[in-house]
Order: sequence, then C-alpha cells, then structure tokens
Amino acid sequence: MEQLIIFGILISLGYFFGRHAEKKHYKSIQEREKHWLQLPTTCSKYVLEDDRIIDHCDLVNGSMVVSVDYFKRILARLRNFFGGNIQSYETLIDRARREAVLRLKESCPGADQVINLRLETSSITKGSGKQIGSVEVLAYGTAVYFCK
Amino acid sequence: MEYKPSLPENNDNVSHDQPVREFVLLFFGITLFLLIVFWILGLFVDRAVNYITPEMEAAIFSSVGGSASESVDNSNPRQAGLQRMVDALRDCIQIGYPLKVHLIDLDDANAFAFPGGRIFIFNGLLDKVVSENGLSFVLAHELAHFKNRDHLRGMGRGIVFTAVSALLTGAGSDLTQLFAPTANFSQAQYSQERERMADEQALQVLGCYYGHAGGATEFFEAMKPDGDKNSNVFGHYFSSHPEAVERINNLHRLAGKMNLPVKKVLPLPAVLVSQE
Repeated sequence: MEQLIIFGILISLGYFFGRHAEKKHYKSIQEREKHWLQLPTTCSKYVLEDDRIIDHCDLVNGSMVVSVDYFKRILARLRNFFGGNIQSYETLIDRARREAVLRLKESCPGADQVINLRLETSSITKGSGKQIGSVEVLAYGTAVYFCK
Repeated sequence: MEYKPSLPENNDNVSHDQPVREFVLLFFGITLFLLIVFWILGLFVDRAVNYITPEMEAAIFSSVGGSASESVDNSNPRQAGLQRMVDALRDCIQIGYPLKVHLIDLDDANAFAFPGGRIFIFNGLLDKVVSENGLSFVLAHELAHFKNRDHLRGMGRGIVFTAVSALLTGAGSDLTQLFAPTANFSQAQYSQERERMADEQALQVLGCYYGHAGGATEFFEAMKPDGDKNSNVFGHYFSSHPEAVERINNLHRLAGKMNLPVKKVLPLPAVLVSQE
C-alpha cells in the first residue's frame, strides 16, 4: 500500500511538472519559430536563388537532449503491454526536433540561408536498463552568407 | 522558385488525446486482464495440486526445514500434549497425512499448516486460548487446511502469480509495483474463501468431537481489535484472512445452521496452561 502511495505521488509530480514544462517549452518554441521564420532553411543541396554570390559558408549545428517525466514513462510502459502508438513520447521528440533546429538557427544569426539541413536522433541511455530514457536530437546544416 | 515562409497551422506530429484518459484506460485494462489471467492460472494450480500425493509432498518439502530449527525439542511436554490433541481430533476429519506438531517459541498468537504435514504452533497462541475446546478449534482449522490442501494451493498461487507478474512487467520494475496489488488482491480473496471453508470444517470437527460448538469463537474473540478501532478500510481486501468479527459472526451463523448447541467448555489440559 505504501509503495502505491509513493507511486501515486511520483506519477502526479511527473504529470504536473512535466505538463507545466511542456507547455512552457511549446510557448517558447512557437514564439521563436515565428521570429526565425524569415531565415530560409531547407534540406536541399543547393542554395535558393542561386544567382547571388556566396561570401562564405559555415557548418552549423544545434542539439537538444530531452528526457521523459515519470508519468510519461509509466504510460509508455503500460502501452508496451498491448502495443500501439506511444503517444506520450510524441511531444517529447517533437519538442526536441524543433528546439534543435531553433538552436541551429540561433547559432548563425547573420546567415542568409541554411541549406542541407539534417536531423539525427540518438538515445543517450540506450541499453542501460532502468534509467529514465532520454534522447538527443542533433540538427546540422550549412549556413550560407551572401555578399552584401 | 520563390521561398514563402509560413508555419504549419496544426502540429500533426503529436496526438492531442488526453494522456490521463489513456493512462486510466490502460491501467484498468491491464488490471482486468491480470485478474482474469490470475483466475485461470489459479484453476490450473488447483488441478496440479490434485496430482501431488501426500508422499510426494513430504518428499518435496522434507529438505525445507522452515522454522523447525526454532521449535522446542520433542521431549517438551507441551508439544507432546498438542500432538495428542491433534491425533485425537483426526478421528473426526479424514486426512491422508502423517501430521507432526511443532511448537515454536515465539510470542505471536499464530498457527499454520506447512507443507509436508507439519503444523507450526506459536507459543503465544497458548496464551490466547483459555479452554481445550478453543484450542481444538484452532487445531481443527489447521487440520482442515491439510484436508483441503490449502497450503499447497496458497504456495502454488504465490509462485505462479509472482512469476507471471515478473514475466509481464519485468522483474522489479515500477510496473511490477503498480500491479502488485492486483496479484495480492487475487490471492487474498482466494485465501479468505479457503479460511472460511476451513472454519466451517473446524466447526464440524468440534461438533463431532465434543458434540457442541462451545469455544469455537474463543480465539477470534481474543484477537478481535478493541472497541470501534476500525482497521484499514482498504487493507481488508488485501488481507489473507477474513476479519475476526466477520469470522465470529460466520461461526455463530454456521453453528445455528448445523444445530450445534453451545455448551460448557473443558479447561485446558494442565500441561498446556500458560506458565506466566
């Protein structure tokens, strides 16, 4: 019985704090995405409007490591019973992806374009049993600066 | 190609369902699933128990000493006295077991049927009962457990439920904890049912041996919590035994049904009277 009470407390803490953090993060993501909307970012190999002369290019990257809260982890494990779409992890990965791209853009404020954008995901705690799972999403690409 | 920046209107990469709803649905779904699995596996255990003869049981458990090391030696007159009572009561209940009483030097008021035909009786029990009939009821209750083979059923369920929980949830994980009450509940409900059955049979033994039901509720009266002090509201569902008050009422009802009068009880044999 005591175990269940501790369990309940952990789950509710995970739920409320996790939800709060997620809401806050999404708000920040949406504001920053709006702000960086004018920086064209593509996964194409070639620059858009290739008639302009390129001054220089840079390799830029941004990454985010994100972890699940207790509630989401338990929910995902419950889902493992019957299989199916693990919804509790979706927002997690979505946030990490968007945050990584935003950090990439923030790392090159003077760039005119970012091309060749790639995203990679790696699990930080893979194979280490009972640890809380966390993933890193790495965004990298080429920042292009045109001659003024 | 012109670059027209815009943000997507909807985020299609995430689901917008209520996570709490999903949690509740999954939790109760799995609980229900486990209850059904445990129920079916319990039936298999019951079947398996029928194939274990008392001889086989004795061979399996002869190496398991239990707490026999703590039991007082055979020359102890109290243990011999208890053994005599058990042997006498056996005439009223058919058991295919050689039974050996072990008196354990512990102050808890408890007795239990251990596989291999051993009855463990704690010293503290002898302080709680005041009459021979009262003690006989407790012994007869344990004899009934042997007759019904409840010790094997209980143990078998324990092993199977633990194994299944570990298999499905991963041993020692958070989920094992989350669903532990489900296994406990299944086992407790079954155990309570078997206890009620053993109470009923013990009452029959008393009726056969003494001709009346006097002293049957004596031990439970002594163990009854004082006053209105109500025990845990939910704990009752997870406890292996029915509550003392419920057992007393049940015994009164059964005694009425069996037309057993309540007559004067016999005093405890002198050798068993608590020295303190």
